Amino acid sequence: MNKIVLIVLVCLFALVAFGTVVAEESEPATTEFSLWVGSHYTDFTDSPKKVGEYNLGNSEALPEFKLNLLSRSNGKLFSLDGHYFDDQNINANLRAVVGDRMNLSVQYRSMIRQTEQDLLENIAAQEFAGVDSLGNDKRGGKMLTHAITDPGADYNYNRQEILTRLNILLSKKNNVRLVAAHRSILKNGTEQKVASDHCFSCHLTSESAEVDQRTHEIEAGLEAEVDNIDVGYTFGYRKFKSYTADPTAYFDKAMHPINITDTATQHEFGSRLIFDDSTAPFGIYPETERYSHKVRVKGKLGTGRVASSLVYSKSKNKRTDLSSEAVSGVLNYTVPLSPRSRLIARVTGARLTADDPFIDLPTFREGRPGPHVDFDYTRYSTIDRTEGKATAEVITRLNPKMTLSVLAGYQIIDRDDYPTPGNGLTTNRFIGQAKLRYRKGLNYTTSLKYRFEKTSDPFTSGRGLFEEVGRDRLLPLVDGFKFIFYFQREDLRYQNITTEPTDYHEFAWTSTWRPDPKVSMVLGARGKYDKNNDLDSLDVEHFSIQPNFALNLTPDPRVVVSTGYTYNYSKSRGPVAVALFDG
Amino acid sequence: MKQTGKGITSAAPTAILFAILLFSVVLLVSGNAAGEVTNDVCADCHDLVDAFANTPHGTYFADDLKLATAGCESCHGSAVEHIKDGDPTKIINPARTDQFGGDILCMNCHRGHEFDDWSFSAHNNADVGCASCHTIHGNGTMHGSLKKDPPELCYDCHSDVKAASHMPSRHPIAEGKMQCQDCHAIHGGQTAFTDGYSSKELCLSCHADKEGPFVYEHAPVTEDCMICHTPHGSVADKLLVQNEPTLCLNCHAMHFHATVQGTEQEFFPPADSTRITESHRDSWKKGFLTKCTQCHTQIHGSDLPSQTISTGGNALTR
Repeated sequence: MNKIVLIVLVCLFALVAFGTVVAEESEPATTEFSLWVGSHYTDFTDSPKKVGEYNLGNSEALPEFKLNLLSRSNGKLFSLDGHYFDDQNINANLRAVVGDRMNLSVQYRSMIRQTEQDLLENIAAQEFAGVDSLGNDKRGGKMLTHAITDPGADYNYNRQEILTRLNILLSKKNNVRLVAAHRSILKNGTEQKVASDHCFSCHLTSESAEVDQRTHEIEAGLEAEVDNIDVGYTFGYRKFKSYTADPTAYFDKAMHPINITDTATQHEFGSRLIFDDSTAPFGIYPETERYSHKVRVKGKLGTGRVASSLVYSKSKNKRTDLSSEAVSGVLNYTVPLSPRSRLIARVTGARLTADDPFIDLPTFREGRPGPHVDFDYTRYSTIDRTEGKATAEVITRLNPKMTLSVLAGYQIIDRDDYPTPGNGLTTNRFIGQAKLRYRKGLNYTTSLKYRFEKTSDPFTSGRGLFEEVGRDRLLPLVDGFKFIFYFQREDLRYQNITTEPTDYHEFAWTSTWRPDPKVSMVLGARGKYDKNNDLDSLDVEHFSIQPNFALNLTPDPRVVVSTGYTYNYSKSRGPVAVALFDG
Repeated sequence: MKQTGKGITSAAPTAILFAILLFSVVLLVSGNAAGEVTNDVCADCHDLVDAFANTPHGTYFADDLKLATAGCESCHGSAVEHIKDGDPTKIINPARTDQFGGDILCMNCHRGHEFDDWSFSAHNNADVGCASCHTIHGNGTMHGSLKKDPPELCYDCHSDVKAASHMPSRHPIAEGKMQCQDCHAIHGGQTAFTDGYSSKELCLSCHADKEGPFVYEHAPVTEDCMICHTPHGSVADKLLVQNEPTLCLNCHAMHFHATVQGTEQEFFPPADSTRITESHRDSWKKGFLTKCTQCHTQIHGSDLPSQTISTGGNALTR
C-alpha cells in the first residue's frame, strides 16, 4: 500500500501545484473527472502458470479502480489517470503542460511476471551397457540426474518502472530547451537458478534465488534552433546492478564415470575441468554502466530537409572490467524531386569495438599420464565490427488517391573476428521494396507491399554442424596414447550453418474501410518466404502466410469493441545434425 | 464534412501545398491570419463548430491569439471562396493527406523537437497523417486527443501485431503493461534511450542485464536479438521464433550423448542415494534434446567459465 500512498501523494502535490499556478492567473479551467470502481476475480487453478504469466490469478474477488482527471485552461493542461488492479499491478500517468514553456510527464507501471518452475524431470538417465546373462539391463557409468531443492516454488517477480520526461523552454530566442528524462526499472521476487555439475555424472541442481535488480537511466540535454537549424546535445547514462548475493553451488569432485573405483584413472575427468570439488558462484548478473554523448543537427538543406545524429557510447561491465565502445551516425535527407514526388535517403553507420580478454586456463590433463594441452587463448569479441546501411526511397503521388513508393538499399556488416579471429565474415545485403497505396479520404485505404532482400554471407555459426568421417584423420595427441578426445572432433566439423536467408521475399496487403468514424474493418494478408541455397548441405527454407480480418467498433473513445481473426501458417525446413561419435 | 478527392486536379496538390506554406508564413508573421470568415458563419453549416470549444484545442488555446482571432480559419485557411458554394476543395482540410502537406499545418504550432523527424517517419511515408490518429474537432481520449487509446488505435491498421500480442508468449501489451510507443517512435526518429543504429539497443534499454560485454559471448546475441526472438508474440516459449531445442539445433550439432541408449530401470548414483531416478531407453534423448538452456543457462553471455577446459570455459553453463 505504500506505493499507492506515494503515488497519491505525488499526484496530489502535482494537482495542488498546478492548481495554484492556474489560480494565480485567474483563468477558468475545464475539468473532467471520472472514477471507476469495480472488482475482479481470476482463477487459474486448473491451468498452468503460463496462462497467468502476467496475472497472479488470486482466487478471490479483489477491488479495482480507475481514475481519470483532465484539467485544461488557457495554455495549461494537467492530466492524471491511474489504474489499480492489485498491489502489484498499478498504472499511473501524470502530465502537466504549461504552454510551450514546460511539458512534464511521469509514468509509473508495475506488473507481475510468473515464471514456471522447470522440474527438470527429463534429466534422468543411466547409460545402457548391454544385457547380463539373465537378460536384464546392465547399468553403464554415465548418468543424468537432477535435484530440486525448492519443490513447488512459486517463482515470480514484480517489475516496477517509473519514467519521467521533462521539457522546459529556457529561452524563446532560438527556442532553447532543456530536455531531460529519467527511468528506473526495479525487479523484485524470486527466480529459479540451475547449476550444472559436469563430473562423473551430469547433475543439475535447482535452487531458489532472490531477485533484486535495478536499472537506472537518465538523459539530459539541450536543444536549440539556430538560423532554422535544430541542434541538440544529449548525455545519457544507464546503470544495471543486481543487489542479491551471488548464488553458489557445490561442484562435485570429478570422477571418471566408468572407472570410478580405479585409482589410476578415476581422476581423469577432474584433470579436464577448470574447477571441481569446490563451492563456486553461478548464474550471476553483470554490473554494467553505459554512457553516451549524442549530437543532433536538423534543418533545411536546399529545398530538402536533413536530420542527422552522431553518437559515442561506452559500456562497461564492472565485474570484469570489460568495455565496449560504439561510434554511430545517422543521416536522413528528404527532398522534393517534383511537385508530386520526393526522395528520402537514409545512411547509417557504426563502428563497434570491445575488449579482448586473455583467458588463462589450467593445463588440460595436468598431472595425468599422456598428453597435456594448453588451451589458453584470447577471446576476440564478436562485437567488433563496422556496419553501414544506405537506402533511398522515392515516393510518388500517382494521382490524388494513389501513392507509389520504391525503395532500394544496401547494407554491409563487416565483422572483425567472427567466426574466425582476424578473418571475420562480411555480410552484404541488397534491399528492394515497392509499396502501392490507395486512399480515399479517411474512409478507405488499401496498401500493397513487396520487399526482397538478397544477402551474401549472412550471419552464420562457424563450423557449427556436420562432421567428416574422422577415424583415419584424428590421431592421438601423443604417440602411444590410444584415446581421441572429444575436443579433437571440432576439427572434423566443416559446415557453416545458419537460419539466416540469402533470399528473402515478403508481401503484405491491407485494406481498411471506415464506413463511419466509429467503425473500421481491416482485411489483409502477409506472407514471407526465405531460403538459403548457399549451404553445402540441405537448403534452409522458411515460409509463412498470415491472412487476417478485424472489425473494430468505437462507440466512444473510451469504449472499444474489437474482434478479429488471424490465421498463421508457418513451415520451416532446415538441417539438424545427429552427432555420431566414432572416436 | 465529407472528405473526398473530387475536383482535385493534377496541379492542385502543388497549389495547395504552396497555399499552406504561404498561409503558414503569414500566420507566423502576423499572428492574425485570415479572419475573413467568422466561426458563426461556419456554424451555419458545420455543427461541430460549437463542439470545438470543448475540445483540447478549443479550451487549451481559448485565448490564443491565432486561434481566437482567426477561428476555424486558423487551420483551414481562408473560407471566402468556400462559403460561396460549399465546395470542399476550396478550403484547406488538414485531414486530407492527399493535399500532400496537410500535416505541415499542424507542425506550425506543434513545434516540439519530437516532431523533427516526422518527414522521415514511416507513418508519414505511408500517408498516415495527424488526423488519422488524432481527433481535432471531437473530444478524444485523455491522452492527447487520440481517437482511442493505444494499442487499440494502432491495431486498427496493424491487426497482425494484434494477433501476435495475444500469443502464449508475448510482451505484456494486452495486459496494458507495455504500449506500442515504448518501442516505436510514432512520430519518427528514435525512441528514448536509443541511438538509432541497432534494434538491439532498443531491447537492451529494458533488458540491460543482457548488455555485457561478457567474457564469454554468444555470437547471435551481439548480432541481432531477432535471430532467436520475435518481439510481439510467439507460440514458442520466451518469445523465441522456435522452441528449444529446434532453434538451437539449427546452428549447433546436438550432443553425441543424445544417441546413447538408456537402461530400463531405476538407478541411483553411487555418490548420492537421494538422486534416485528412473531411466528408459530414450532417456538420454529426453535429457539432451528437450531444452538446451536447462544446462546452458547463461545463453546471453556469462562472466564465469564453464567447467570444461577444452571448450575454453565457453559453454555458457555457469
